[in-house]
Amino acid sequence: MDGSISVQDLVKTYKGDVKAVQGVSFEVAEGEFFAFLGPNGAGKSTTVQILTTLVKPTTGSIRIGGVDVGEEPERVRWNIGVALQETGIDPVLTGRELIEMQARLFGFTKKEAKIRAVELLALVDLNDAADRPCGKYSGGMRRRLDLALTLVHKPKILFLDEPTTGLDPSNRKAIWKEIKRLNKEEGTTIFLTTQYLEEADQLADRISIINQGKIVASGSAEELKRTLGFDAIQLLFELDEEAEQAGQILVDVGENIERSKNEVTLYTENGTKLLPDLVRKLDEHNLSPKTLNVKPPSLDDVFINVTNEQKERA
Amino acid sequence: MSEQKKGSFLVDTFVFTKRSIITIIRNPLIFIPNLIISLFFLFVYEGGLSGISELPAFEGANYLAFILPVSIVSAAIGGAGGAGQALVKDLENGYFSRLLLTPSSRLAIVLGPIIAGMLQLLIQTVLILVVAYFLGLEVAAGFGGVIVVLLLTLGWGLAFAGYSVGVALRTKNAQSAQAGTFVFFPLIFLSTTFVPYELIEAGWLKVAATINPTTYLFEAMRSVFIDGWEAWPLVRGFLVIALLCAITISFSAISASKAVSAD
Repeated sequence: MDGSISVQDLVKTYKGDVKAVQGVSFEVAEGEFFAFLGPNGAGKSTTVQILTTLVKPTTGSIRIGGVDVGEEPERVRWNIGVALQETGIDPVLTGRELIEMQARLFGFTKKEAKIRAVELLALVDLNDAADRPCGKYSGGMRRRLDLALTLVHKPKILFLDEPTTGLDPSNRKAIWKEIKRLNKEEGTTIFLTTQYLEEADQLADRISIINQGKIVASGSAEELKRTLGFDAIQLLFELDEEAEQAGQILVDVGENIERSKNEVTLYTENGTKLLPDLVRKLDEHNLSPKTLNVKPPSLDDVFINVTNEQKERA
Repeated sequence: MSEQKKGSFLVDTFVFTKRSIITIIRNPLIFIPNLIISLFFLFVYEGGLSGISELPAFEGANYLAFILPVSIVSAAIGGAGGAGQALVKDLENGYFSRLLLTPSSRLAIVLGPIIAGMLQLLIQTVLILVVAYFLGLEVAAGFGGVIVVLLLTLGWGLAFAGYSVGVALRTKNAQSAQAGTFVFFPLIFLSTTFVPYELIEAGWLKVAATINPTTYLFEAMRSVFIDGWEAWPLVRGFLVIALLCAITISFSAISASKAVSAD
């Protein structure tokens, strides 16, 4: 069993013809850090639940570490660590008890389980709270405990479903640091879902953007930005009306234009080349922006672009 | 971890049972009200109704021995219902999924709370019997009779635990599971609860008592408390319980297999 993930034509339809996942395929190599990026309700969590044996797919073939999930779910469970979005912990037990119990269920002896609990509590910085019932933990502590539970058996593949949603920046950084370390130092394959572009950009080797149950773009953060192939020209005006007027004047200039309040963003193949023309046009109408920026596309731009395209096609 | 590692059903069951026991001990409110209500039944019914045992239909039986099974059985229902409620809590807070993601035996996940519930029920029953002893209980069948009563109670508890676990896994929410425990009332009260069958006035209640399995449980327990060793009430009592267990345990097993492999 290795650390690879292979998904072919995964479809999940719920009762009432609700299509949660509509034909998703992707491969993740051993040791790779893969991010599944998408808005709420895009099908990320359903995909994770199917990949981790919790939910059966309607159709499609899934191999985790070369093992078919449908045929040998138990063998898959020995090798994966899963942190679900809804962190489930028994509030009556202490952090230490929960880790020891988890370890026992993964075949550790009593003594081994105790040792592993000490290691993990230190790793996620929960030594002080180890013997308190975890119903009293803060959200961040709970998430860290959940990560510890996920790591008990040193899994080859980690599934993390929005591991930092709702966390404050310091807890988020702590989780990032740890999963980065697991990937770089221990060679753990990581499958991460997130709604945060920044998170995917910072951590992942490769990103797939999922929207409405379909993968709409895939590649490294750099590749995705390059596929977009556009610069973004951002104009800020004093007044909303000015921005609106500018939006109308410039509608033929760029490839794609977005306006919100006093801000106009123009996507074009070569921003610098277009600039003199753009400024002259605005001048003719007595419009002068407060600030003007030309920047290469961010992952945000890619995201907006591919999810918009899909809306237009729909 | 080496990849061909095999899970052990016994270790898993032990781990889950231990966890359920810890949970019960740390939440005494799970079992104390239930125990108090059962003792309350015993005191109030014995205190208020014991005069009616002068009636000829009681054939000189002590009312304490007559009403004691009601107290024991109601405590057992509460104890066994706890198994289902423990599972509902896990389902609601998401811990159940965390357990499903381990390679542990699926059966053990459901069995742990049931075994813990049975142990709780056993201790409760012994406590009630001790209280009854101090109130003057005499068991006609002797110590062996006490063991029979404990076995009947366990069987009954197991049947009810199967039911409560099945309901819990199906509804997956605390309110519905709680509502499911209301079968408690018809089971306990539409029976020969306060007086022997011959003294029940209403025709419909006679019919209800005849089809209510609890009646046969009461009769079996009363026979060892009051009459000593009599084969027929015991055979009937154990048969009814075996049948009930077969039904409710299958129900919970089917519900469990549905709950652990969501479609």
